[in-house]
Amino acid sequence: MTAVTAAEPAATPGPEPPLGAARRGYGADLWNAVLRNRKALVGLLMLLFFVVLATFPGQIAPYNPQATDFLPGLGPSRAHWFGTTAYGQDVLSQVIWATRQSLLIAFAVGGLATVLAVLVGVSAAYLGGIADGTLSLLTDVLLVIPIFPLIIVIAAYEKNSGLGMLVIVLGALGWSYGARQLRSQTLSLRTRDFLESARVRGERRIYVIVCEILPTMTSLIVATFLGAALYAVLAAAGLQFIGLGDPNSQSWGTMLYWAENNEALGAGMVLWAIMPGICVAALGAAFALLNYAFDEISNPALRMRRLDRPIDGARGDAVPAVPPAPDRILEVRGLTVAYATDGDPVIAVDNVDFDVARGEFLGIVGESGCGKSTLLYAITRLLGPPFAGEIMSGHILFQGRDLVSLDERQLRHLRWREFSVVMQSAMNALNPVLSIEAQMRDACKAHSNMTDKEIAARSREVLQLVSIDPIHLHSYPHQLSGGMRQRAMIAMALLFTPDLIIMDEPTSALDVVAQRSLMVQIKELQQRLGFAVVFVTHDMSLVGHFSDRVLVMYAAQVAELGRTRPLFAQPRHPYTRALMEAFPSIHGPNARLTGIPGSPPDLARPPAGCRFAPRCPQAMARCHEGVPPLHDVEGDLVRCVLYDKGAVPEPTLVQAS
Amino acid sequence: MRFVVRRLGFFVLTLWAAVTLNFLIPRLMPGNAAIAMMSRYKGHIQPQALHAIEVAFGVNTHESLVHAYFTYLGNIARLRFGISLTFFPDQVTHQVLQALPWTLALVGITTILAFVLGTFIGLISGWRRGGMLDGTLPPLFVITSAFPYFWIGLLAIWLFSIKLGWLPESGGYDVQTNVAWSWSFVSDALTHAVLPAFTILITAIGGWILTMRNNMISVLAEDYVRMARAKGLSSWRIMWTYAGRNAILPNLAGFAMSLGFVVSGAILVEYVFNYPGVGWMFLQSVENQDYALMQALFLLLTVAVLVAILAADGATAVLDPRTRDRS
Repeated sequence: MTAVTAAEPAATPGPEPPLGAARRGYGADLWNAVLRNRKALVGLLMLLFFVVLATFPGQIAPYNPQATDFLPGLGPSRAHWFGTTAYGQDVLSQVIWATRQSLLIAFAVGGLATVLAVLVGVSAAYLGGIADGTLSLLTDVLLVIPIFPLIIVIAAYEKNSGLGMLVIVLGALGWSYGARQLRSQTLSLRTRDFLESARVRGERRIYVIVCEILPTMTSLIVATFLGAALYAVLAAAGLQFIGLGDPNSQSWGTMLYWAENNEALGAGMVLWAIMPGICVAALGAAFALLNYAFDEISNPALRMRRLDRPIDGARGDAVPAVPPAPDRILEVRGLTVAYATDGDPVIAVDNVDFDVARGEFLGIVGESGCGKSTLLYAITRLLGPPFAGEIMSGHILFQGRDLVSLDERQLRHLRWREFSVVMQSAMNALNPVLSIEAQMRDACKAHSNMTDKEIAARSREVLQLVSIDPIHLHSYPHQLSGGMRQRAMIAMALLFTPDLIIMDEPTSALDVVAQRSLMVQIKELQQRLGFAVVFVTHDMSLVGHFSDRVLVMYAAQVAELGRTRPLFAQPRHPYTRALMEAFPSIHGPNARLTGIPGSPPDLARPPAGCRFAPRCPQAMARCHEGVPPLHDVEGDLVRCVLYDKGAVPEPTLVQAS
Repeated sequence: MRFVVRRLGFFVLTLWAAVTLNFLIPRLMPGNAAIAMMSRYKGHIQPQALHAIEVAFGVNTHESLVHAYFTYLGNIARLRFGISLTFFPDQVTHQVLQALPWTLALVGITTILAFVLGTFIGLISGWRRGGMLDGTLPPLFVITSAFPYFWIGLLAIWLFSIKLGWLPESGGYDVQTNVAWSWSFVSDALTHAVLPAFTILITAIGGWILTMRNNMISVLAEDYVRMARAKGLSSWRIMWTYAGRNAILPNLAGFAMSLGFVVSGAILVEYVFNYPGVGWMFLQSVENQDYALMQALFLLLTVAVLVAILAADGATAVLDPRTRDRS
């Protein structure tokens, strides 16, 4: 597989490193992430506080917790911060000593439940077949049976059972939720490359599970532990409170039991009933906060990063003094888009200029991670999660209006009527819970006063345009084949016959044959209806056959922009040439595909000078000195020092060997 | 159709597991609970009651375990749970039916209310991420969801009944009012329900808010939401039909799963408030070692969870065409 075809749709800069490669040192990363998260830190400190209390109760507590040395029912005072119980014991000392048992239960149950959850969940997913069926069924049944009442039932037959019994019962019944999650996580990992490779290497199953699978699930395992611990704290307190624990034990739940039996709240011994409850709540909250924070850490989408503000002067700028050309539908000027990260903002689209003429087909190509998709979503003002970039500067003139300066309400009037969007995967881009008809109706209602009848007629019409039987109007996306879904989305984009359709790799999810026929159809429709197309792809051969002009992007910048034919006949930028050599030509002789060594630079740390230089076969010292400007060569643009004034460009031909 | 059959099969299996646990637990526990109990009760209760225990636990009947098990299954299938010791000589079934409406009204309504309200707040706070609502409620409810239900109940009683005297502190109604469909009875019952309902509501709502908020945030990053924006739909439409409707699906599945948690909380709340529902009766039966009643109530709680799951399944099928196709 060449470097180019290994493309992935995601174009977010600074993506998560691939699981397999990153799993060593995953624990350290996790630890750092915890320390950076405020909720996690608070939870950790609270937990630490209780650990200290539980470890040194003798040193911290002022009195013997059981000694009935004092007057009963004393209010809070210097000598007894939390007052005394109805039996004349010091409440503060009792609360401190009780920490030990509650923590012990939390950790023991958490540990036991986690071990069971991992055992059941991972082995169910990894073994598959009957083992999976049986274990999953067991998990599901246990998940549904109300556990707390079951524990009460067990405790009812065996009153005053010890701490060990409580831990075993809570742990043995509390693992099912975690097991279910671990199972589905393992299932999603099973087909990952690094596991496949371990399997091919002939590693033993147990080795694969322990050394390959478990480390990648650290955060989920921790979450399972925290969830079980939280549940144990609450359940144990509840059981002890209703008198199903050992009434002589020192625990917060038992304290509450005695307080309730003596009607402490009504009798003025308020803190006796409140303090143990606060402790249960605080310990529970510590686990809940840690759990919540781990959720955020393991699911980056939940974390929010924001750029402080777009670079000043970006939006208010006057439109550059180039007169709007009537034959141009789209003029992009100096467009710069940045993503917020934990460090410095990452520039994913760097000062990009280009035009699209009416009725033109412009192809935008480049490897993944070059900023193509970001550029596309910036033009359409659709940046937002997961493409949470912001336009820092530049202008997007569409039919004379600057889209950058419009607000969401003004944009809504233009959307779909004037320009529409076709996305990479219709499976993801169509709302799974609405029928095709309903999704077409939505768009029509948003922009016109068409009656239901007219909408239905128009919907049928556009479906026929893309050769789909209108009977499928009533289908839901999942009921259509991949090719049909993609066509249906294109049909939707044609509802108002807009002047511009922006397409993000609309064919890459299809097989080669379907790809071809869809492209031919798009081209036909374009010629018939006269709309302009901006077409993003990583596939050079598609661009070569269907586009009028090609924009080659590399590392957030325009590398080359030119008319398709001359560009394919004589690619000027070494990157363009490399891209072409990475794809089979349909016409030329069978050539060896070479691929491009290395991968695009990390946009957080782009190389100084020409960004392609580190991978360029023709790189020279000059390339590393500064970013080369875009040169106008015979009306086409290329960013390469080979075309500096005075430099003699060597003849460049597509190598056919 | 296959989906429905499989689902029903799962329900039957779960019920069977619950019944079997009921049968096995007392027989597996060290020291025969029934014999211990009988020796305690001997001479204190009527011989019929003693006989009821004998039958329920297979003491002195010389039945084999397998035979006893099938007899037990047969009795349960015909809803013969035996005679309650606490309310002797009343049938267990009759007692359970008296407590059930109270719990359905209190726990049923508040649980649904907590789910609807929590889902709604989560939806809004996920949609307006980083806004005022999102900044205050979710973090607050992370913490309250860790509070023990019963302790919140104790505090509520202390504050609103003992200190302020606004609301009654226990029971389901004033014993002096006639139990009838009269305005005075209904309003009295409602006043009694306020505190327990409030307790369940504020402890149960946090979970829904958090999961719905997180679902919403994941869904907002989906292509179909961006597509809806590209189509120029109104925010209202995107929020409900595109983001909300998809985000609520995992929450419905979660509803079913965390219901056991809600049930356990509700038991303790009823206990704290002496509310005459199923949970209170359940703990009462535990205290009185009224095992027949206890077993019936445990089974009822399982059925309640299953019914709720069925309702969640139904709602999912209405909202999601993909599950409709599977069924």
